[in-house]
Amino acid sequence: MMHAESQQNMVEIRTLRKSFGSNVVLRDVDLTVKKGEVVVVIGASGSGKSTLLRCINLMEVPDSGRIVVGGEPIGQQNKDGSFRMFPEKIVNRKRTQIGMVFQHFNLFNHLTALENVTVGPISVKKMAPAEARELGMQMLTKVGLADKADAYPSRLSGGQKQRVAIARALAMQPMLMLFDEPTSALDPELVGDVLQTMKQLADEGMTMIVVTHEMGFAREVADRVLFFDAGVMLEEGTPEEIFTNPREERTREFLRRVLSPSAPGTTGSGRPATVTAIR
Amino acid sequence: MNYEFNWTVVSENWDYLIMGIVQTLKVTAISLSIAIVLGLAIGLMRISKQPVFKKFAGAYVEVFRNTPALVQLIWVYYCLPVLTGINLSPTASCIAALGVNGAAYVAEIFRAGIQAVPSGQAEAARSVGMSYAMSMRKIILPQAFRHMIPPFVNEAVSLLKYSSLVSVLGVADLTYQAQTLSTTTFRPIEIFTFIGFVYFILCWLISWAAQVLERRLRASA
Repeated sequence: MMHAESQQNMVEIRTLRKSFGSNVVLRDVDLTVKKGEVVVVIGASGSGKSTLLRCINLMEVPDSGRIVVGGEPIGQQNKDGSFRMFPEKIVNRKRTQIGMVFQHFNLFNHLTALENVTVGPISVKKMAPAEARELGMQMLTKVGLADKADAYPSRLSGGQKQRVAIARALAMQPMLMLFDEPTSALDPELVGDVLQTMKQLADEGMTMIVVTHEMGFAREVADRVLFFDAGVMLEEGTPEEIFTNPREERTREFLRRVLSPSAPGTTGSGRPATVTAIR
Repeated sequence: MNYEFNWTVVSENWDYLIMGIVQTLKVTAISLSIAIVLGLAIGLMRISKQPVFKKFAGAYVEVFRNTPALVQLIWVYYCLPVLTGINLSPTASCIAALGVNGAAYVAEIFRAGIQAVPSGQAEAARSVGMSYAMSMRKIILPQAFRHMIPPFVNEAVSLLKYSSLVSVLGVADLTYQAQTLSTTTFRPIEIFTFIGFVYFILCWLISWAAQVLERRLRASA
């Protein structure tokens, strides 16, 4: 029975700790994400939410704790509890199964949109170029940018870049998608298209962990919302619970600040969080 | 000034000068190749997280940048055999010295070029599962290469000019041939004016080729 339960879990995190120098960013975080679940992580800048995400695909190496993705640990745990990286080969294979979307898109500037999407399948998965092109076009079509296949990133808007970045991650056929403030660097009018693409992905059953300041997206798409404060998961619940009836005073205070349009910017992107309607 | 130029000395010794040009180009091409391969390795070591590599690469660059190329050349030819028993021909000594010297500069070009590529590019490459080597080859170096063209041209041009130092060790490059011809024909003015012109044309061709390449790369992005 334990086995059946753990098979339904996409991500299991136990007592995860991470510090940068003397600054403790994550303090004994526990988190379980079920297959197909959409989890939105909110919290003030510096609360550790991006670091949590980056530990899951080992962009950051945890100090200690255990992370299991898709039933397999992503690293070893020493006897004293400290975290040890697997050899690079294994880490790279894990990363192919975990898609990541960055705040600043990080599209490969010397490659066209299509090449951005196909470079992973071709060079990492050794897929035949023709097959990869077909897959790449499918992914670009999915994010509504098939007509931009031959455009270089410098010719794309921010929203288009981010959708190509999503297509690039999807082309690796990941079992989990991580979104690290995917709309924070976008002009407000471009946010909607990206959120729409993410919502579509959620509707298709993709397991997603999303760090965002888009409370509208959280409310509409999330199965569960986590509130992070000072490296601790202070509160979690359904969007309904978190947004209408938060238990913790810190959560209430945070929501008051980000949802009031006249409040000074308190979010990671340096501007107030916005509520963007999803078409 | 009533010097009477006699340029026939150039045309009469044409084959002799051509041999010199060929030797100059050969020395330059081989030492430049060594400088590129070795320079890439040293440059990657300089940005490596391993302190041992980092320190070694740093020391390498400092030593070869802060001693004169002519001293290095003479050292490889006269001192290295005594100290290590490695005996190189004059030509091989020159190529080795110019190669390791150039590598120090090329390493800095690679380092600066790689560091000019935003760190998000490497992160994105690693996030799709690329190894360090693959992310360098497919993502970082192709982008770094664009930033590297102008300083790299400088390096190629200065290596070509530095190759004239090899005449000191009796390697029959263009400068050496010119010296020999001067003593036999007593026409150093014509000869050295001519080879200056030849060096100019060769260096200018390198810059011109690089400009064409740069323009073509810019058109693709």
